Amino acid sequence: MKKRYLALMLLLSTFLFGAKADSSIWGNNLLSNILEYDKEGSLHMGHYFTVIQSTYIQPMLLFVLIVIPLAFAAHYFIVGPKVFSHSGKSIMVFSLFKRINHALAAISFMVIIPTGIIMIFGDFFGGGAFVRFCKGAHAIASPLFMISVIPMLLTWMKRMIFSPKDDIRWLKIVGGYLSKEKKPIPAGMFNMGQKIYFWFVTLGGLVMIATSVILYLVDFELGIFTSMGLSQIDVLRISALTHNIIGIFIVAMFMVHIYMSVFAIKDAYKSMIDGTIPEEEVKILHSSYYKELQEKGEV
Amino acid sequence: MGEFARLNFYCDEHRCINCDGCSVACAEAHELPEYISRRKVITMNEGIENMEYSLSIACMHCTDAPCQQVCPVDCFYIRADGIVLHDKDKCIGCAYCLYACPFGAPQFPLDGAFGTKGVMDKCTMCAGGPEETNSHEERELYGQNRISEGKVPVCAAMCSTKALLVGDSAKISDIYRERILSKGHGAKTQPYGWDVAYGKKL
Amino acid sequence: MANTWGYGAMTNSLGDIQNAKAIIIFGANPAVNHPVGFQHFLKAQERNNAQMIVVDPVFTKTAAKADIYVRIRPGTDIAFMYGMLHLIFKNGWEDEDFINDRVYAMDDIKAEAAKWTPEKVSDVTGVPAEKLIQVTKLYASAGVGTLIWAMGLTQHSIGSSNTRLAPILQLALGNMGKEGGGTNILRGHDNVQGATDMGCLSDTLPGYYGLSEGSWKYFASSWGVDFEWLQGRFKSSEWMGKKGFTLARWWAGAINGKDGNDQIHNAGTGLKNLFVMGNGITSIAQQAKVKEGLDNLDMLVLCDPFVNEAAILTDKQDDVFILPAATQFETSGTVVATNRSVQWRTKVVDPLYESKTDQWIMFELAKRLGFYDEFTAGMKIKENKKDFTWPEDATDEIARIIKTIGLTGWTAKRVKSHTENWHMFDQISGRGYGKMKGEYYGLPWPCWTEKHSGSPVLYNTDRSVAEGGMGFRNRFGLEHDGTNLLAEDGSAPKDSFIEGGYPEINKDNIEKVLGITLTEDEKAKIGKNWKVDKSNIIVEKCMEKGLAPYGNAKARAKVWTFPDQIPMHREPLHSPRADLVKEFPSYEDKSNHFRVDTKYISKQTEQEWVKDFPINLVTGRLVNMNGAGMENRASKYLAALSPEMFCQIHPDLAGKYGIRDKSMMWIHSPEGTKIKVKAKYSFSVSEDRIFIPFHFAGHFQGEDLTHKFPAGTAPYASGESANTVTNYGYDIVTQIPETKGGLCRIEYAKEEA
Ligand code: HEM
Ligand code: SF4
Ligand code: SF4
Ligand code: SF4
Repeated sequence: MKKRYLALMLLLSTFLFGAKADSSIWGNNLLSNILEYDKEGSLHMGHYFTVIQSTYIQPMLLFVLIVIPLAFAAHYFIVGPKVFSHSGKSIMVFSLFKRINHALAAISFMVIIPTGIIMIFGDFFGGGAFVRFCKGAHAIASPLFMISVIPMLLTWMKRMIFSPKDDIRWLKIVGGYLSKEKKPIPAGMFNMGQKIYFWFVTLGGLVMIATSVILYLVDFELGIFTSMGLSQIDVLRISALTHNIIGIFIVAMFMVHIYMSVFAIKDAYKSMIDGTIPEEEVKILHSSYYKELQEKGEV
Repeated sequence: MGEFARLNFYCDEHRCINCDGCSVACAEAHELPEYISRRKVITMNEGIENMEYSLSIACMHCTDAPCQQVCPVDCFYIRADGIVLHDKDKCIGCAYCLYACPFGAPQFPLDGAFGTKGVMDKCTMCAGGPEETNSHEERELYGQNRISEGKVPVCAAMCSTKALLVGDSAKISDIYRERILSKGHGAKTQPYGWDVAYGKKL
Repeated sequence: MANTWGYGAMTNSLGDIQNAKAIIIFGANPAVNHPVGFQHFLKAQERNNAQMIVVDPVFTKTAAKADIYVRIRPGTDIAFMYGMLHLIFKNGWEDEDFINDRVYAMDDIKAEAAKWTPEKVSDVTGVPAEKLIQVTKLYASAGVGTLIWAMGLTQHSIGSSNTRLAPILQLALGNMGKEGGGTNILRGHDNVQGATDMGCLSDTLPGYYGLSEGSWKYFASSWGVDFEWLQGRFKSSEWMGKKGFTLARWWAGAINGKDGNDQIHNAGTGLKNLFVMGNGITSIAQQAKVKEGLDNLDMLVLCDPFVNEAAILTDKQDDVFILPAATQFETSGTVVATNRSVQWRTKVVDPLYESKTDQWIMFELAKRLGFYDEFTAGMKIKENKKDFTWPEDATDEIARIIKTIGLTGWTAKRVKSHTENWHMFDQISGRGYGKMKGEYYGLPWPCWTEKHSGSPVLYNTDRSVAEGGMGFRNRFGLEHDGTNLLAEDGSAPKDSFIEGGYPEINKDNIEKVLGITLTEDEKAKIGKNWKVDKSNIIVEKCMEKGLAPYGNAKARAKVWTFPDQIPMHREPLHSPRADLVKEFPSYEDKSNHFRVDTKYISKQTEQEWVKDFPINLVTGRLVNMNGAGMENRASKYLAALSPEMFCQIHPDLAGKYGIRDKSMMWIHSPEGTKIKVKAKYSFSVSEDRIFIPFHFAGHFQGEDLTHKFPAGTAPYASGESANTVTNYGYDIVTQIPETKGGLCRIEYAKEEA
C-alpha cells in the first residue's frame, strides 16, 4: 500500500516538474522575453551573445592556444630555464594539507581545462559522443574544483596580499625571467606573478563556479536578479559569456602556470609533491621570504 | 508552392484562445516526454480587460537562425524550404542555442551525466531530422515526419480557431493582411515576431 | 425555450453566427468549452465587424476576445435582461411588427420591464448603469444579433426563467428566424443534443413525446411490442405516466429520506440499484450526498472506458461492478450536433482489450433480463427482417418513429452520404452544392421527409417549408384568455398555401385547413395527428401546400402553467444580498419535484447565509477537460496542463485570509462540506467571488482516495471535486442544480509536512 502511494506521489511530482507552468524561461515570461529581444531599451543580450559566441570566442581561444606556447618556446630557446639543484638542502614550505589541496585543484583543472577547450572547439571534434563525454567530465570535475578553491583561498590568502615594496620591483624586472642571471629577485613566499595567478584563479574561479552553477541549473529564479530587472534568459546569456571569456583568461594563466613550474624553473612543480623547495631557489626567487626565514632562524 | 517558398509560422493573437490544442497535439504526435513542450501557449495580462491575449510559440525557423550561428558543434542545418533542423547525434546539450534564440524554443531534458542538460529538442516543423526519412530512428529521435508525407504540421492542423498558421510566407502574409484589414486594426505590416525571426524584408 | 415557441434547441447554427452583427453571450464560455466552434465567433468579429458582448461573473477566455465585457453578479441575469428590455421599450428599439404578428403577451413583459430602471438593475446585478445602457444600445441597434447561452444561464434555481427571458429578448428585437440571429444555446458535449432527442430524460419518451398513454401506445405499436406487456413492466399503470428521478437528485432516491434528508415519492421504496453508463456522476452538485446515495445502494454498475470515480468515492465494498465500455472510436452510428444536425461516425478500431460497445452491453443485459426480443423488435419492422444490422437499422428505426422533431428524413443512407460528402457543403450556411444541392449539412431537424432539405434556421419565414422555413409551433392551443395564439396574417413561411397562422395538422382538420379531400385509402392509413402519423401522409400533404405540419402560431412570452407566468427575478437560495432576498424571495417549497421534495424558500431563509458564507462560488470548465474529467485526466498530456485542482482567487481577497499564491486553502459550503485546493491568484475573478473547475475527483473533503483505484487505473491527476461544495438548490421546472450561484467561506489551509 505504502509503496503504491509512494510511486503515485513520485509520478505526481514528475508531473509538477513537467508542467513547467512556473518555468522562468518557458513560462509566462517567455512572451516578454520574445517581445524584448533586441528591441530598443532592452539589454540586447541575445544579440550580443549570438555575435560574441559565434564570431569571437573561438578565435580568442585559438589565439591564446597559439600565441602563448609560441612565446614560451621563444623564451625557452632565448633565455632558457632556471635550474636549481634539487640535491642540495631544501626548505619545507608547503604543508601536507596545502599540497593535497593543490593536488585536488590541479587534477580538477587538468580535466576542466582541456574539456572546456574541446567543448569550445566542439565542431573541430565533430560533436557527438566524444564532446558530450567531455562535457560530462567537465561538469563532474567541477565539484572537485569547488571544494578545493575555498580552502586554498583561505590558507594562502595572507601570503598572497600584495606588498608594494617587492611586487612593484618584481613587475619592473618581469620577475627576472628575461635574464639568465641568478641574482635575488624581490619576492616573498609568493612572487607577484604567482599572486596574480592565485587571485585570478580563485576569484575568477569563484566567478566560474557561480556562472557554472547557473548554467547547470538553467531553469530557476533568483530574487537578486529579478530585482535587478534581469530575466532568467539574460542571466544565462551573461553567465555563458562570462564563463567563456573568463575561461579563456584562465586557460592562458593556467598555461603560464604550467610553463613556469615545469619548464621556466626546472622541476619547480616537485615542490607541490614533497612540499620542499631547494634553498637556493628560495634565496634567489623569493629573497624577501628567505630573509624572513633567516630572521626567524629557520634556515 | 513556389520554388523559393519558405515555410513560416504565424500565430494570430486576435484568434488564439489558449486552448492548448496545438501543444497537446504536438506532444501526442511526437510522443514527447512530459517535460518537453516544443510548443507553448502563453497568455499575457490574464484577467485584465482589453489587455489579455494569448500566443502559441515554438521555434520560428528563423532566417539567419541565431541558434545555428552559436552552436559549437555546428549541428543545425537549414533546409531549402527554410525549416531549421538539428542533428541530435551531434548535439552536446550546451544550451547555447537557447541563449541565442529569440523565442526560447530549444529545450533540454536534464538527463545528461550528473543531471546536466541532455540533447536539445525543439520543434522540427514536423519534418523529422537528418536520419533517413520516415525511418524508425528518425521517429524515435525527432518524432513524426509529416512534411515528407505532404501533411500540415500537426499543431497548425489541430488549431481550433485557425490562429496558428504554417506555410509559404507569402501566403501567410496575405492571410495576415486580410485579417488585420478586415478587423480595422490598421497598418501592422508583419505578424508579431517576424522581424526577428525572418528579417525585415520578406 | 420549448415552452416559448415549440422546440428547445439551438435555433441557428455555429456557422450562422458568422452572419451576426452583434453577439451577446450569457453564461457561456465557448472559447474554453467550444474552442473549434468559437472560430465562427472570431470570424464574425473579423469579417462582419460583429460586436461581441460577454456577460459573465468571471472574466473568461471568451471575455478576453469580447468588445465589451460585463461582470455580472451570479444569478441576476433576469434583472440584467429586464434592464435591457426596459431600455428597448423606452427607446422604441423593439420590432413592433414582429411582436404584433408573432408574439403573445409581450405587454406583460413590457409592464415588468418598466420596473427595471438602469439604477435598479445596477443595484441588483452589480453592473454600472452606463454599461447596461452602452450594451443595450449597441445590441439593439446593431442590426441582427445572436444570443448565446450555456450552463451559466441554466444552472440556477431560476434557470428555466432565464431560458425564457433570453428568447423573449430576441423576440422583442425581432431577431428570431433570421440568419445571424436566433438563440443559440451551446450544448456542452459531443452528442448532448442527440441524447436529449433520444429521451435521456426522466420526463419524456424519445423525441420529446410525453408520458401520456397515447404516446406509450404509439411507441408500443411502432416498436412492435404489446402495450399491455410494456405496462406490465411498471409497478402499476399509473407509474407509467410519472416523471422519474433526475440525474441531479437520483441520490435522494437512494437515501430515501433518511436522517432528515428530503422525502421521496417513489412507490414506497428507495432506489436500490444504479446503472451508470458514461456519466461523470462525480461532477454533480452536492457530492457528499452523491456519496451517501452510492453508499446506500444495493448494487452499483459503472460502465465507462475509464474507471468511473464514483467507484472510488463510495465506501461500498461489495456489489460494485465496473464494466469496460468501448469509446466512440470503437463503434459507429449517428451523433447529433448542437445545431440539430446529424453526422455518421465510423468505427476506427475494433474495441480494444476486453472493452465492449455500449450496445453490446445493453443487448446482453436485455437478454439476461429476458426481453431481448422485444428490445430489438423495432429494428426489424421496416423491412420485416429476421435479424437486424447495427447501427443502420437502429438509425432507420429512429427515422421511422420520431415525428415530433421531424427526424423522418434521417435515414442511415442519407446521413452517411452527408458525412462522406461533407466537403460539398458551405461552411457558413451549410448549403450543399454539386450532387448535394438542395440539402443542408447534417439535415438539421426538423427534416420532414426523406427528401426534405433539413432546417438550418428555425422559425425562418423567409424560406419555404420545403427549404427549411417555418413559423412558430402551435403547441399551446388556439387561444388564451380570448387572445388568438395563431400567427397574424403575412407571417407565414414563403410559398405557403395560407397567408397567416394555422393550427397544427391532425386527422380531423387536415381537409379543412389544407383545402383538400383525402381518398378513402388515405383516410384509412392516416394517423391521429402529425406526431403519430405512421403513414406520414399528413406531412407529405403539408409539404405540397408549403405548410409546416406543426402549424404556424405565436411564440408566447407568458407560460400560464409555470409558477412564474412571466420570468421573474428571484435571488439564488444562497444569495450574498440579504436585503434583496426579502425583495425577491425564492419559490414556495415544492413537493414531489421529480419524485423528491425540494426546498426553496425554507432553504433560502433558514439563516442569513451571507453572514457565515460571504463569498460567491462559481464553477466552470477548463479547456483541456470535460465533465468529471476522468478520461482527460487519464491522458498524460492533458493532465499535465492542469495537474492539480485549484481555485482562482483575486489576490486582494486572498490577502484578507492570508492565503498566498500556490498555498493550500479550504473552501467551506453552507451544506457543511469542505474541499482543500490550491490557491491560484487571478485577476479573472473579482474580489467577491472565487472560481473553481469541476473536473476533478479522487479526493474527498481533504482525504486522498486514489489508493482505492484498482491497480494501474489511477489517472495522472486527481483532486477535490468542486461539486463537494456546490450548494443546495434546484431549478423549479427542470431540477437542474444551482451550481452557478452559491456561497462559500474560505480559509488558509496549513500544509502538514
Ligand atoms: C574554473 C573552473 C571551471 C569550473 C568550475 C567550470 C564548471 C562548469 C560547469 C559546472 C559547467 C556546466 C556543465 C553543465 O551544466 O553541463 C560548465 C560549462 C562550460 N564550461 Fe566550464 N568550468 C570551469 C572552467 C572552464 C574553462 C576554463 C573553460 C574553457 C576554456 C570552460 C568552458 C565551459 C564551456 C564551454 C561550458 C558550456 C557547456 C555547458 O554548459 O555544459 N569552463 N563549466
Ligand atoms: S526560433 Fe530559435 S531555435 Fe528556432 S530557428 Fe530561430 S533561433 Fe533557432
Ligand atoms: S545544445 Fe546542442 S544544438 Fe544547441 S548549441 Fe549546444 S550543441 Fe548545438
Ligand atoms: S510543427 Fe510539429 S514539431 Fe513543431 S510545434 Fe508544431 S507539431 Fe510540434
